Amino acid sequence: MTNASRNPAYRRYTGRMIPLSLAYVGAVGLASWLIPDGAAANVATVAIALVPGLAALGWIWAMARFLVELDDEYLRMLEIRKFLIATGFALAITNVWGLLELFTTVPALSVFFVWPLWCVGLAVGQLVNWRQTGVAGCA
Amino acid sequence: MKNRLKLLRAERGWSQGDLAAQLGISRQSVNAIETGKYDPSLPLAFRIADLFGARIEDIFLRDAQQQEA
Repeated sequence: MTNASRNPAYRRYTGRMIPLSLAYVGAVGLASWLIPDGAAANVATVAIALVPGLAALGWIWAMARFLVELDDEYLRMLEIRKFLIATGFALAITNVWGLLELFTTVPALSVFFVWPLWCVGLAVGQLVNWRQTGVAGCA
Repeated sequence: MKNRLKLLRAERGWSQGDLAAQLGISRQSVNAIETGKYDPSLPLAFRIADLFGARIEDIFLRDAQQQEA
């Protein structure tokens, strides 16, 4: 094992994330097709809307397994630092925006956007890793 | 933390990739340790020491040793 991107844990991670992402996109597309805009919350609509959530839970599971299976301690440190930066990034934006919502008339930010914000934070973390160490991480 | 890893590796004519392969870690990890950007855990430090047939303190220098060097 001499290259971060050839790490077996990273290959397994990618092999899990790709089908989960395809399942997520498919489930969101199906839910959008089945549920009309402004539909009431009932057992059927809630059940259909929750299906993409299963794929999102799968993402979290895949990321947790990645950290557990990554046996290179330096790369694991970089990945964990990336996750922490992403968490701080998402929390900072949502908290500050929440205060703006509380005291002003800015539009409400849907909680749906917390996850995409966290993913943007991952990219920020990757950039920080690269600037500080010359290695962005595995993923 | 400063260390003599690069010197020991060069004495054996190993590349960073060679050393990484023998330790079962990435080349990036070897580079980070050699340049002092990352201090290895105790188990990894023992593996490095065992590979070179040396003691950990012969490879990794304490702060006082760094000042003397």
